[in-house]
Amino acid sequence: MRRSTLYITISSTLLFVSLFFAVFSVVKIKQSHEVDFRMGRLVRELDLTDLALFTEAGYTRHLSQTDFTTPFQDSPMSFEHFPSGSFVAPPAHLRGGHVKNH
Amino acid sequence: MSKTIERQLHLVDFTIGSVLRRKGKNAALLLVYTLVVFALASVLFFTRALRTQAASVLKNAPEIIVQRTLTGRYQFIPVRYADSIKNIRGIIAIKPRLWGYYYDGGFGANYTLIASGVDSLKPGTIAIGIAIAKLRKLQIGDIVPFTGSDGNPQTFTIAKILSDESALVSADLVVITEADYRALSGIPAGYATDLVLTVRNPREYSTIAEKISRLLPDTRPIVKTEILRTYDAVFSWRAGIMLLVLAGAVLAFFIFSFDKATGLSAEERKEIGVLKAIGWETSDVLAMKFWEGIALSLTAFFLGTILGYAHVFLGGGLFFAPILKGWSTLYPSFVLTPHINFGDIIALFFLSVVPYTVSTITPAWRVATIDPDSVMR
Amino acid sequence: MINIQNVSKVFNAGRPNEFTALSSISLEIHLQEATILKGPSGSGKTTLLSLIGCMARPTSGRIFVNEKEITSLPERFLTRIRRGTFGFIFQRFNLLRGFSALENVMAPAYPTGEKYSLLKRRALDLLAMLDLDHKQGAKSEWLSGGEAQRVAIARALIHDPAIIIADEPTAHLDAKLSAEFLSIMEILKKEGKTLIIASHDPLIYDSTLTGRIVEIHGGELAHGGTIA
Repeated sequence: MRRSTLYITISSTLLFVSLFFAVFSVVKIKQSHEVDFRMGRLVRELDLTDLALFTEAGYTRHLSQTDFTTPFQDSPMSFEHFPSGSFVAPPAHLRGGHVKNH
Repeated sequence: MSKTIERQLHLVDFTIGSVLRRKGKNAALLLVYTLVVFALASVLFFTRALRTQAASVLKNAPEIIVQRTLTGRYQFIPVRYADSIKNIRGIIAIKPRLWGYYYDGGFGANYTLIASGVDSLKPGTIAIGIAIAKLRKLQIGDIVPFTGSDGNPQTFTIAKILSDESALVSADLVVITEADYRALSGIPAGYATDLVLTVRNPREYSTIAEKISRLLPDTRPIVKTEILRTYDAVFSWRAGIMLLVLAGAVLAFFIFSFDKATGLSAEERKEIGVLKAIGWETSDVLAMKFWEGIALSLTAFFLGTILGYAHVFLGGGLFFAPILKGWSTLYPSFVLTPHINFGDIIALFFLSVVPYTVSTITPAWRVATIDPDSVMR
Repeated sequence: MINIQNVSKVFNAGRPNEFTALSSISLEIHLQEATILKGPSGSGKTTLLSLIGCMARPTSGRIFVNEKEITSLPERFLTRIRRGTFGFIFQRFNLLRGFSALENVMAPAYPTGEKYSLLKRRALDLLAMLDLDHKQGAKSEWLSGGEAQRVAIARALIHDPAIIIADEPTAHLDAKLSAEFLSIMEILKKEGKTLIIASHDPLIYDSTLTGRIVEIHGGELAHGGTIA
């Protein structure tokens, strides 16, 4: 096979797979509306405020509810206790939200 | 037109032949390049999808939560505090919320217990999240013991297991009736964990929050917009590991490009001279160099992005799992909806394809313009 | 006819290593015959060949090919003329490493956008003519000296040029291969091609191939002035 033909074949295949994934995404997003709706309903029913991403500790589990002191309970300079601290930024309300805390 | 196409095909023939001369080195280069794109694409897709889903789900969160703090730590809030604020204009309803944590030493798991007035739950029964069910291999009808705050055991029957599809918000939940929770946790009557306020107009959030702070100085209102902002910032590129991955990828692309940009070897120079001597014009040489850059970087871009997509949206982000799980024993399985941001892909394209291709063409520019006469010497 | 008028070539002009390769060369080269440029190494033969073959521009002077001046043409036109008119055989062959004999023969025609099957056919025919079709897939670095030379000749012929230029073609060949080279040149001359060969090999300039000998010494024509 001529080399350029091989290259075109490979590139076309990759392009085709990409387009397939694009269509797949559209379909999945459409389906997700229902799932998100049901999840939203559960959130409303139970008055939930956070995602169950990091269940190691209270202040990682409920990022939006945590107070100032608990994450720094040992010392302001202490290393992060839990791995999730290394990729989660401090919650918005601790970085200066609507209302300042006293 | 077909001559133009055929010319490009000939140049591609030459370019691929040229690349294949050093099969091992170029294969390794393609592999590593693809890997870098894969890592970056995976991170971009995962974080974007999670943030989008979080926003979509948490827009149903309570509008304002009133939390009480004492000595800088949060405390139970007296339910009568609601009376002080119920007349603030804009507040439609106030209700107490009871929730807390329960650490199960036997399984090393941290549950979130939440009291709910949902009518389907009978006293003595609980609904549990899917991760708890999987961890402890529980089914509907099983009886689960908890240790109360007084040290005495209390048992509950599982009435329901929350759905897998809601795992992102419910994986570690134990839903329990209020009376049972008070008995278990020891939260005294007249007190709650916090107060949930219903407010219709989002523009009133901050005004109401300010009024609450004034009326109840030992409380801290948390507003829904803060919740949404918190989760939008989760996995933001400015945070720890994400920044590291991004920086690493940029550095990798820079190194690849630098290697190309530092110029041609004597052998490459001579070959360009020969090409010119046998009748190639400067534009032909540069077009060939363009294909050389594109062949590697574009292929790596497509391959890396496709693999990244498959990894995140078909494979549940399995390479991220160990990092994300950290020390938790309860975690949701990441079946994320493929919310792709086209801007992310464009950025990835520009980062992975443009510098490398430019670095391949540029050093050849000067060499391509000199007289082929030098080849004779 | 190729008309060379008062051509000089100076390298690195104005710098400490300034070097005059050719000075005031005027010459007429007749078509359809073999002209040999004879002279010791460093005499400027290679430079003169590259000027005639449109591979470099003279520092001063003019060159005409069939009444058309080539000295002032922009690069693109110069390349087109070179492609269509001249076929070059380099002293060290300069084949593309890592590519097959066939690809080497086809390479000069890549920029023209000629149809692949036609180009391939023509290249195979040329290789066959030189008894090399069985080696068409062999990588150029694996060819023997004689085979490499024949590939270089085939490559020079891919555009069916009217003029063949060869720079010291027998410098790295033994007597047998040199004789083979001569016989191929004879065939090309019979076909009506013009040959311009730079050589200080007596086998070449004493052969029956030679129509005319031009002697060059130190960048100047040995007998001075125009030679008829």
